[in-house]
Amino acid sequence: MLVTLDPRDERPLYLQIVDQVRRALLVGTLRAEDPLPSVRELAGQLVVNPRTVSQAYRELEGEGVIYVRRGQGTFVAPTIHPDRRERRALVRGVAERALVDARRNGLGVEELVTMICEVAAEDEGEGSPSASAVRPGEEEGAA
Amino acid sequence: MTHTDPRAGDYVVATHGLSKRYGRESALEHVDLRVPDGAVYVLVGVNGAGKSTLFKVLMNLERPDAGTAEVFGLDTGRAGPEVRAQVGYVPERQDAPYRSMTCARLLRHAAAFYPEWDHAYADHLTRALGVRPQRRVGGLSKGETRRLQLVLALAYRPPLLLLDEPTDGLDPVVRRRALALLAEHLADAPTTVLISTHHIHEMESLADHVGVLREGRLVAQMPRDELQRTVRSYRLEVPDAWAAPRELQPTGLRRSSAGRDVQCTLVGEEREVARRLAATGARVRQVSTLALEDAALAFLPEDPS
Repeated sequence: MLVTLDPRDERPLYLQIVDQVRRALLVGTLRAEDPLPSVRELAGQLVVNPRTVSQAYRELEGEGVIYVRRGQGTFVAPTIHPDRRERRALVRGVAERALVDARRNGLGVEELVTMICEVAAEDEGEGSPSASAVRPGEEEGAA
Repeated sequence: MTHTDPRAGDYVVATHGLSKRYGRESALEHVDLRVPDGAVYVLVGVNGAGKSTLFKVLMNLERPDAGTAEVFGLDTGRAGPEVRAQVGYVPERQDAPYRSMTCARLLRHAAAFYPEWDHAYADHLTRALGVRPQRRVGGLSKGETRRLQLVLALAYRPPLLLLDEPTDGLDPVVRRRALALLAEHLADAPTTVLISTHHIHEMESLADHVGVLREGRLVAQMPRDELQRTVRSYRLEVPDAWAAPRELQPTGLRRSSAGRDVQCTLVGEEREVARRLAATGARVRQVSTLALEDAALAFLPEDPS
């Protein structure tokens, strides 16, 4: 799993890390019992405050997505079912961002949902790859 | 927008009404700096805003004309040596009192001075930053001097780092490496950091507190999250002859040729800003978060040109 951060992203940095771990689980680049980089490693790689990484790991640990094995490091939980909870959390995040954007533009929920379906139908008609589901092994998803 | 909590106990660095003049020039004016324990506090300001003067007062290298400064609860004017023993300081300018020494000799000299000096870590930093041990201190370039200063400041893992323009003179590759080393350093041991810079974008993801110094006055001081929440870019649809409400501290205002579309940076909670805008007949079309640098710019005067 490679974590990248976008400073212009509206989400706080720790949430970006949380979401990327979730996405890596979904697409399969991160699996049950895989080790995660240490706080120190990830902070150095991303040049971020280590507290940001700790905060992200605490949140994921609280959700039961990862766990700490004392003296050995941080690992993905052995009984992770990314297809349900993680997928839901990921979709929720995407939906929340779309909704905020819609409200700012003075659009209603129904308008938004209708248009998402319309655009998706158009994309499928053209056979565009952007509408197809994220396949395991892909690093960047449609989010 | 400055911090209101007057208690100094929770802060590693606290100044109270700190003022300093050089002749007629006012370098610091009633500065109440508050650096919480464990924070990475980035102090922003144009050159000459008073950043280096503030650092020198904290190191007791300058005496303030009014006010006091405390580091770990110690008055810097009375307990200068005790304060300095707990601080890793990278000064803006290298006075180079040991110009004839080699880098290796100077590092040994510093190691003897600090009981906590970590030799293995000093060697690691020396290699990672490309400091050449046999070079004479007096013959170092600006960038080489900076790298040596960073080794000297970090190698004994002091609980407070005062870094005055720490990446000045470093090339982009070394800059990134130096900041990555700093991030790892913070992961290894609890450390409070006060960094001054006019390259805030470099500190974007390290900073968790931001202060803006303008002409000697601390015009903003807050957690990074608060800065990014309360300073945002607004795209507006406005009536004719519209002017931005002054209390929203508009900066970077751009107007379409027809005058109805406006983009500007405004200060305040988004909901409150939207309410005030609505009262002036403006409609919010889009709100976006700003990079830390652009958010901090909201507190610096616009280019007069």
